[in-house]
Parts: sequence; structure tokens; C-alpha cells
Amino acid sequence: MAVQSWLDNVKSSKKTALIHDGKRKIHYLFSDGKEMAEEYDLKTDELIVRKWRHKSALGGQGQWQVEVGEALASPGTSLDSQGIKENCSNPVFSRKDTKTCFQWRIRNLPYPKDVFSVSVEPSERCIIIKTSNKKFYKKFSIADLDRSQLPLDSSALSFTHTNNTLIVSYKKPKQILTLEQELLKELKKLKGTGEGDVDCKTQ
Amino acid sequence: MATTKVPEVRDITRIERIGAHSHIRGLGLDDALEPRQVSQGMVGQLASRRAAGVILEMIKDGHIAGRAVLIAGQPGTGKTAIAMGIAQSLGTDTPFTALSGSEIFSLEMSKTEALSQAFRKAIGVRIKEETEIIEGEVVEIQIDRPATGTGAKVGKLTLKTTEMETIYDLGNKMIESLCKEKVQAGDVITIDKATGKISKLGRSFTRARDYDAMGAQTQFVQCPEGELQKRKEVVHTVSLHEIDVINSRTQGFLALFSGDTGEIKSEVREQINAKVCEWREEGKAEIIPGVLFIDEVHMLDMECFSFLNRALESDLSPVLIMATNRGITRIRGTNYQSPHGIPIDLLDRLLIIATSPYTEKETRQILKIRCEEEDVELSEEAHTVLTRIGMETSLRYAIQLISTAGLVCRKRKGTEVQVEDIKRVYSLFLDEARSSQYMKEYQDSFLFHETQTAKMDTS
Repeated sequence: MAVQSWLDNVKSSKKTALIHDGKRKIHYLFSDGKEMAEEYDLKTDELIVRKWRHKSALGGQGQWQVEVGEALASPGTSLDSQGIKENCSNPVFSRKDTKTCFQWRIRNLPYPKDVFSVSVEPSERCIIIKTSNKKFYKKFSIADLDRSQLPLDSSALSFTHTNNTLIVSYKKPKQILTLEQELLKELKKLKGTGEGDVDCKTQ
Repeated sequence: MATTKVPEVRDITRIERIGAHSHIRGLGLDDALEPRQVSQGMVGQLASRRAAGVILEMIKDGHIAGRAVLIAGQPGTGKTAIAMGIAQSLGTDTPFTALSGSEIFSLEMSKTEALSQAFRKAIGVRIKEETEIIEGEVVEIQIDRPATGTGAKVGKLTLKTTEMETIYDLGNKMIESLCKEKVQAGDVITIDKATGKISKLGRSFTRARDYDAMGAQTQFVQCPEGELQKRKEVVHTVSLHEIDVINSRTQGFLALFSGDTGEIKSEVREQINAKVCEWREEGKAEIIPGVLFIDEVHMLDMECFSFLNRALESDLSPVLIMATNRGITRIRGTNYQSPHGIPIDLLDRLLIIATSPYTEKETRQILKIRCEEEDVELSEEAHTVLTRIGMETSLRYAIQLISTAGLVCRKRKGTEVQVEDIKRVYSLFLDEARSSQYMKEYQDSFLFHETQTAKMDTS
């Protein structure tokens, strides 16, 4: 039910598509003023970037919040203008999905594998990563499942640790897989304007 | 140890400057709104201070919009001081916007736009917003200053919770505010990521030692749990003008050309008024009407006055306080004469507070307060002489003599200003009356002198 409502929501949003740099880029504008931008690989149809922008309470333009992909440091956010910034030696958290899994990578974690424990907290609808040496802790939710109001399942969760990187995977449920396929079909129907600058009507 | 040295360096360079009204700390009223003879930097003017106190209560209640008050009186009778006193007693939460009547005349903006902006700056909206904060216990704070002495400082801050630990790079501003707050390892602090505001919550329990010397106000708190960065709802006050600016900024590259403010379309304002009223009804926001103070209000012209008439009728209008030192004079932009240079129809809407010239005793008291403020010691005789000067010339001139006499006294290595010092500066600097006298005697030898038109024209 909820899966359908999210799909309808996406379908009814105003979309602008653009093919550039081997990527299909889509900008969505929802009826409540939220904006979403996605980038798909043209060849593999994998999701590379998904980010959100909300209007702030006072009506100002917010910053892009990255859901999938790596957050790029936007220009003009130097250390002096911001005042405080995480050091580059800290763990870096990013999400990068595969066809069948939601996957999160946390780089810069030079600890052995047995330090980590990853668990699902179904009541709070989030996944918690803990470390026994108290160096890293992260609580995050899976936005895709929240949007479709699907339950979290601890058996779908797994994690590995290689090259100072912790990789957490969560198998996509069937509903999500069908949803994504349907969405992709919809996107391919969109007439992607070719290379070069285009007016983004939805922005 | 570098961390403890830095604040000392800063404290030396930061000396507060003394302004003409920096001795004013409030209206000097007691709880029953009765004025005390000398209190909070205010002296005399009992009736007008009492009246200002009543106005203050009205503003604090916040129910009545669009009232206007005029403070009228001779020059140097404390009009601006009373307005400052109101501002000080209102506290930081109520918006107080002060401008001078001549400030609105700009080539980039129409007069009415400047006035509307001033009006909207004086209305605050208290609203909840979600911001990102960092909350944790300080493990280590490290600030390196470059060996050459100049250039940017580099800082690192390690924060932890019960579950995790993160190192942050610090910008220059953040380093300064951390030093000002005297943040040390073991403190539990929060940093508002958007504004960079730091607040100390207390010391961590794990750092408590029996032999540590600490003030009575030191609080011990638990080390925070969970993630370091959290989203939290905070309440803050913004002015209507700020909301206007946020919403009027043209998107995209056009913002580069339109600049920060410029003219704000009336449609945008109407939209925002509607939105704010909606928020208020939903309980999301609270409107705090503030105070707009226009000094030298006789400098406004006829168009401005008619705009004020209209603007005061809006329900989103602040309490307007105006001050003037003019008597019956020409209204700017017309050929009509009117009391205070303000049209009769606007005067009719005003509550008028009059200030009267100070008595000798009050002048003496004010001079004493200013001496304390400017850190000048005055001998008893010098004080009497200065009071005489204040009575015969003007209070402002006498106040000017305080710091100059103080300087002369210091040059002769004295500790207390004597009558000679006052005499010395009195002969060095002319007051208005003596200067006019001098002009009359020697005007023939000045350039472009005009003997006939001695009257000053203000418009």
C-alpha cells in the first residue's frame, strides 16, 4: 500500500531529465516543495547519487542532503566560514547501493573486525553500528524503507571489514526491487535532453 | 598550555569604547514604576522617566500595536538617554531598532522602503527551527599559533560521547570563541553548527577529583550518550525583515546582481505577513512587537509622515518612539509651520513626553556619573567649576571637557583633575556661545561670510 503511494508521489512530481557524462540525471520537484535529485549510470542503471533539499522553516533555500553517494564539499564552505569541520582522519560514512543490496561504506576505520557490532533496532527503525573500543558509533535509518513503510529485518543485515573500510549490506526486500524496476521504466520514458546546458523547469 | 595564554592576549586588545550614552543601564525605576532620583545612570527627569516606564510596560505586554510616542525637549535634556534606557530595560529578546531621521535618505532606496524595513526590523518572530548541534565531552583541545606570530591559527578539538570519539578541525572564529569561553579538556560543551555558538554545560563527572580547585558554580554533568552530532529543535528570534530578505532573494545567478536587500516587493511582504499569522495561529511562532526609535524625527519630510500615519495602523506594527528638539518649525517638504515640525494629524496620534532642562544639582550628578564612566577623577572644586560651565554653556560641552581635562591632568602627571586643568581646556576649546561671539567679531575676515542671512535653514 505504502509502496504504491510513494510510487504515485514520484510519478506525480515534476521531473526534468538530462543525460550528461554517461549519467542520467533527474531532478524531481514534489508538491510539498521538497526537491530530489538522482543520478543513474547509463550502462548499468545503478543509482549513483540521490540527494534532497528542503525549504527551511523561514522559507530559505536549504543545503542539499546526500542520501546516496558521496557528499561533495560545496564551494564556499571553507573552514573559516563554517568554523568547525570534521577532520579528514575521521571515519567517512557514505551509502552506495548495488542491484540487490543497500550498502553503506565507512572508511577510515583501522580496527579489527571483531571490534564492530552491527544491529537492527526495529522499534526505532534504524541500524546501529557500535565499536567495543568506543571510537565509532552511528545510528542511521534506511530512507527507502521508511518511505515505503516496510519493516526492518535483522536477517537481511550483514557486514564485512576490509582495507580499513566497514561495509554494511542490507538485502533489498522484494517490494523495493519491483518498485525500483518500475521507477526505472518510468524514467527511461522521460525524454532526456542531450548534452549541454538546459533550462531546468522544475528548479 | 597554549590554550590558557590566548585569552589573556585577547583581553588586552579588547577595550570597550565609551559612547555618549554608555553609562545608561536602564530607566532607573523601582517596581512600582516610581523613578529613583539617581539610578542606572539616569538622573532627574522624573516625570518623563515615569512616563517612559509606563510605555515600557505597554511594550512588554506586547498587546498593543502601532502606538507612537514623542519625546520632545531642548537639546541635552536626555531624550536619547531615555530611549536608550528603554532599550536597555527591554533586554536582548525584544527587538529595538534605532535610526536617525536623516538615515532614510538614500539614493539606492526610496524613503518609504527604508522606513518599512526599519518597521519590520523592529518586529521579532520567535520560531522553532531544527538545527544541527554537536554535543560532547572535550578530550583534547590543541591550538597552534604560527611561529612567525602572524597568519592563521590552526586548531584541533577532540570530542567524545560514551560511544564514540571524533576529531574536528577548527576555523579561526571557532578558536577565538573556544578561548573566550575558556573551554578545557573535561568540559561538556554543545556547539551549534549553523551559528557556531558554544555553550558549556558543565564538567564531566569522570574528571571530578577531590583536590581540584573550582568555583561554586561549577556543575558536574554526565558524558553525553550516542552520536556526537544531533538534530535538535531550538527557539530563536528573527525579525520580519530577515524573513523578508530570505524569501525575496531571487534564485540562481540573479542573486549575484540583486545584492542582499534592495527593495522588497510588497507582495512578498504580504505573503510573509499571512504566513506569520498562520504560524501564530498554529502555535508554531510567537510575534514579539519591538520598538522603533527615530531620533531627530523633524528631519523626516511630509511623505514620510503620511507613510507613518498609515503604517501605524497595521496590526504588525511596533511601538514607535520618536525624539525631537525642535519647537514650532516648518514641516520638511511643505511651507507649513507646525509644532516639532510634525504635522498636526500625526501629532494627534502621539503620546508626548516632555523633558525639561536639568537643575544645577542634576547636572552635577550627571557629570559625576560621566567621570566614573570615563575613569577621570575630579577634585571637589573642579567639579563645581565644571557644573557651572555645564549650566552656563551646555551639558554636552561640560561632558566633552571631562576627558580632555583628564588628559591634560595626566600630562602634568596629576592624579586628580584640578580647577587649573578645567581652565586650561576651557581656554583651549570654545563652546558654542563663545564661538558664535568670535564669529560675530571677526566674520569680516572669514571667507564667504554673509552678514544678512544668519538664520539656519534645515530643509
